[in-house]
Amino acid sequence: MTPANSRKFKPRKPKNKLLCSWLDGLALLTWGILLLKYAVTGQYKLLIHPNYYGLVLASSILLLALGIFKIQLILTHSRQSTSEHIALFPSGFSSGLLIWIAIAGLLIPPKILTSQSALKTGVRDIPLTRSQPQAFRTATKPEERSLIEWIRTINAYPEPDAYAGQTANVSGFVLHLDELPDNYLMLSRFVITCCAVDAYPIGIPVKLETSHNSYPPDTWLKIKGEMITENLSVKEQANSKTMTGKRSLVLAAKSIESIPTPADPYSYQ
Amino acid sequence: MNRLHNAFTLFLSLLVEAMPFLLIGVLLSSCLLFLIDEKQLITRLPKNPFLGSIVGSCIGFLFPVCECGNIPVARRLLLKGVSPSVTISFLLAAPTINPIVIWSTWVAFGNQPQIVIFRVLFSLAIATIVGCVFSTQKDAKLLLQNSFARRFNSDLYSQPEKSQSSSPLLQSGSFILDGGQVLPFNNSLLLDPAQSQSSLQFKWQSFVDNLLQEFSELGGMLVLGSAIAAMIQVFVPRELVLTLGQDTITSILAMMLLAVIVSICSTVDSFFALSFASSFTSGSLLAFLVLGPTIDIKSIGLMASIFKPKIIIYIFTIVAQLTFIFTLIYSYFS
Repeated sequence: MTPANSRKFKPRKPKNKLLCSWLDGLALLTWGILLLKYAVTGQYKLLIHPNYYGLVLASSILLLALGIFKIQLILTHSRQSTSEHIALFPSGFSSGLLIWIAIAGLLIPPKILTSQSALKTGVRDIPLTRSQPQAFRTATKPEERSLIEWIRTINAYPEPDAYAGQTANVSGFVLHLDELPDNYLMLSRFVITCCAVDAYPIGIPVKLETSHNSYPPDTWLKIKGEMITENLSVKEQANSKTMTGKRSLVLAAKSIESIPTPADPYSYQ
Repeated sequence: MNRLHNAFTLFLSLLVEAMPFLLIGVLLSSCLLFLIDEKQLITRLPKNPFLGSIVGSCIGFLFPVCECGNIPVARRLLLKGVSPSVTISFLLAAPTINPIVIWSTWVAFGNQPQIVIFRVLFSLAIATIVGCVFSTQKDAKLLLQNSFARRFNSDLYSQPEKSQSSSPLLQSGSFILDGGQVLPFNNSLLLDPAQSQSSLQFKWQSFVDNLLQEFSELGGMLVLGSAIAAMIQVFVPRELVLTLGQDTITSILAMMLLAVIVSICSTVDSFFALSFASSFTSGSLLAFLVLGPTIDIKSIGLMASIFKPKIIIYIFTIVAQLTFIFTLIYSYFS
């Protein structure tokens, strides 16, 4: 790792070396720009937990500074290191790859996870993690709870009857589950613990007066209604095939309003 | 197309989460190379093989380097007279037992603290055991690559401090410089010009060079690893992943195989593992996190510059078996 005593390879030609220096510098710059773009536009919320916003912003500034420093070194023809790194890739390959990815990232905006991914992961009515009643806030009025607050509350005290009759006012995207009858849909949201890779969907079954086909998957809805308990057939586990009847809390919709996809569509843990 | 876009988003999310940690990792490893006096460290190493192995495992706390950075450090340690067994412990443990890696693992698995704790404990145990096993072989030349062993002065090894004796007589093989200065001709002269050329300018230059080279090298590796993780998550049928991932034994074996193939840097490999958190058993995630930093395709290539191929196979076999046994035990008790 220290340039001094790493394995010596055949020295590169100076021209090739200059190109590699440029690639190194550009890789730093493009990644600095990409992270800065995510931080400024708020798109980072689609990729990572907002807790790490500071980390991303600081990294982008550091990368930009290093990139500018490196390019300044090349331009002033400062003494280039004669040492070789223990390299696994051909020289310049790695930096080139980083540059391509950064450019692709700048051109293609991150996509909001859809019902398709939710069906793949399997909706959980109970978040697996942090099931301790730390988020259990009895003080919150039922009609002010968000979808994830509802799930946490139910999770902390999983007795459907305790909530029957309460008013709810929640928003989320539509998910059609095969095991639910035709007049039900799942109002869902993705929850992110660390980054989009670990996003998992949570949801509450919603009882409609019409068929769920009038609300195609991935439409965002704001639903007001009353909590009732019903016997629903649900899968025992996210991936099992057998169905069991389970008494669940269901939101009986009274008013349904279609809303645009929010800028921060995810909930965070 | 839709799925490709999904995969690309997950891929970017892994990269954006991991990039700051990669940056901190290479910054620190570049810094500490210049701040830590290895000679001081070596004189304080315990002679007892067991203690030596434990201390060797913990040196990683002083050199927060991941598996690509620790090979050059290990080479320097060997050349300065540290025994091969302690060096092996260092090689195996340093990529895991260091503050940055523990922090990033905590970020990814903060809600399952047992994964963070057992990752550290298992890595420490495996590194110490393997170190102890190799301490029974006293002849270092049987362990080391021929070309490397030739540069490895056996006198220097058995009595590391001898060359620093203050005998007024001229040591054999010394150069006499212009002003009557005497320059002993030994390995430290050959292999460590960074210390003899200690001007600030030189240090600063090598600091930046080292940082940039590591960043682009490890960044490329991270890109490839993240791409694999995102593709598996999006394109491999969920039924297949679940059948493989829910069984105690196949899940551990599958993740161990993945750990060897995916040469992602240990600073950020916990984010890679996180993408399997919903479908694989936690024991298998642990197997990935323990085995990945020690042995993978990339580090085998790097280790071949120090050790004989036979020794690498031994190390690999012992580490893989211990990882399997430990994580299997963990699976049954968790």
